[in-house]
Amino acid sequence: MLEFLLRVFGKNSSSSKNVAKERLRLVLVHDRADVSPQLLEELKEDLIKVISNYMEIDESALEVNLDTSDNMVALVANIPVIRMKRTAKRSEKIG
Amino acid sequence: MGEVIVITSGKGGVGKTTATANIGTALAALGHKVVMVDTDIGLRNLDVVLGLENRIVYDIVDVTHGNCRLKQALIKDKRFEGLHLLPAAQTKDKTAVNPEQMRELCSELAKQFDYVIIDCPAGIEQGFKNAIAGAEKAIVVTTPEVSAVRDADRIIGLLESAELRDPKLIVNRIRPLMVKKGDMMSMDDIIDILAVNVLGIVPEDEMIVVTTNKGEPAVLDNYSRAGQAYRNMARRITGEEIPLMDLEADTGFMNKLKKLIGFK
Amino acid sequence: MKKAKGSKAKTLFEQKEETDIMTGETPDIQNQVTEEMPAELASILDLEVGETGNRIEFEEGEKVPVPEKLSFKPLVHKDPWQQAFVDENTILIKRTVRSGQSIQFDGNVVVLGDVNPGSEIVASGNIIVMGALRGVVHAGATGNKEATVSAFKLQPTQLRIANHITRAPDGDYLSPDHPETARIKDGIVVIEVYQLGQDRQTKIC
Ligand SMILES: Nc1ncnc2c1ncn2[C@@H]1O[C@H](COP(=O)(O)OP(=O)(O)OP(=O)(O)O)[C@@H](O)[C@H]1O
Ligand SMILES: [Mg+2]
Repeated sequence: MLEFLLRVFGKNSSSSKNVAKERLRLVLVHDRADVSPQLLEELKEDLIKVISNYMEIDESALEVNLDTSDNMVALVANIPVIRMKRTAKRSEKIG
Repeated sequence: MGEVIVITSGKGGVGKTTATANIGTALAALGHKVVMVDTDIGLRNLDVVLGLENRIVYDIVDVTHGNCRLKQALIKDKRFEGLHLLPAAQTKDKTAVNPEQMRELCSELAKQFDYVIIDCPAGIEQGFKNAIAGAEKAIVVTTPEVSAVRDADRIIGLLESAELRDPKLIVNRIRPLMVKKGDMMSMDDIIDILAVNVLGIVPEDEMIVVTTNKGEPAVLDNYSRAGQAYRNMARRITGEEIPLMDLEADTGFMNKLKKLIGFK
Repeated sequence: MKKAKGSKAKTLFEQKEETDIMTGETPDIQNQVTEEMPAELASILDLEVGETGNRIEFEEGEKVPVPEKLSFKPLVHKDPWQQAFVDENTILIKRTVRSGQSIQFDGNVVVLGDVNPGSEIVASGNIIVMGALRGVVHAGATGNKEATVSAFKLQPTQLRIANHITRAPDGDYLSPDHPETARIKDGIVVIEVYQLGQDRQTKIC
């Protein structure tokens, strides 16, 4: 019964600890991404590798960024396509 | 060949020096040969926490610059035979030491001691780079606060890029009652976020202040809860498996009452 | 320069009082000394020469008369006994020396203020602290065993004279309530109650 009382009086979802945790989670996603521009660069290269299996893209104009808005973090990629490839290399892989 | 362990945190004042003094002393109490190295040049503290400040003649800068032999700068602890301190310089320029010299120094110390414990300065600047240069293992100290955890995360990232993998975490200054009320992140909350292994958890403990005043680490006090926590950590470092402390035990009237009535 | 008012003259020992009774009137003396110092030292220290403990009271705005005699430039005296009093090699530090600060001087060092834990004073001559001495001091650092360390409250973390090193006792100890002097006597460092007018105190090192 005491534990029940404790729960009623203490723990609820908007307790400051949960606020702290949520804020931390957000800030860390950003921090961790911010930490290494190399990581973003690597991601870019991998993206190019995968996408160029399907289409020809303008690699020099390719942009990859992490966007933080109020409540979420999004990966935003701007990839200018030059033209589609007719025979997707995918078949080669499968075959 | 001894182990070289750096104790670091990113954020200042979270308890690196206290952890170094206590873990070092506890390891020595277990019979190991230990040297604690203070790399906080210009803001040295480890000597006062250990009560050895009046014995300093040479310091780490003197050693790296060849003004004295390593042996001359090592200060013997007054309590334990195997415990030594290599103090930081207080009045010299903090750029006086570089990572290469630290690597050399650490490998020399590792030949003579079972454990080389390095107290790192706050921040991620030169002092941090020096402190981790010669280390093989890392311990990251944090408190259950947003700013400290965030800085710990940054440090863990930096340690990993310096090839110091799998750092161990100390969560310091936990207040069980606040955790219980949901007003402080628990160890689990922090692990959840940082995803590292835990070396130990330390409760907020007034005895830390009292023992620091006296220049005697809390591990020497059998009644200090924080002292107990650090003794456990020392044993974990030596490879023993010791369960984490139950911080909620004896944390106040409510708990005692609960025990009395038979909850738990 | 509107210094040297009566009220100022009484505050001779207040560390925060940065005014210098003679400054305005004897500029060449100041320059003369600063030139001899390493530039960095001169900027941390307040240098003074010929501070005569002036207690004469002046009206505001009144010019401080400088007696003819006090033309300090060449510190040469006619008689040998006068020469014996001359000490060109002393610096006066009019502030508290704090943790992390280090003062190294080839000569005597006098501090009007405290010397805090974590700071360091190294002098080839004597060290005198008109306040609490709690840091590390090294008198006679170039080997002079006659050098002494005196302080209103002598509680150094560590005290060195020439090649002798002593440290504060571990644990609690009483803090002195009177000025003391440390010197080497028969091969060991001893602490004595500071005695006024004793011959040894006035001896030039
Ligand atoms: N478990 C604890 N309970 C109560 N007080 C503590 C605890 N741990 C540390 N403290 C206090 O926190 C303060 C900072 O500790 P400490 O000097 O060890 O931190 P630090 O990380 O080494 O700081 P810095 O970054 O300045 O080197 C000290 O006053 C210490 O007494
Ligand atoms: Mg510290």
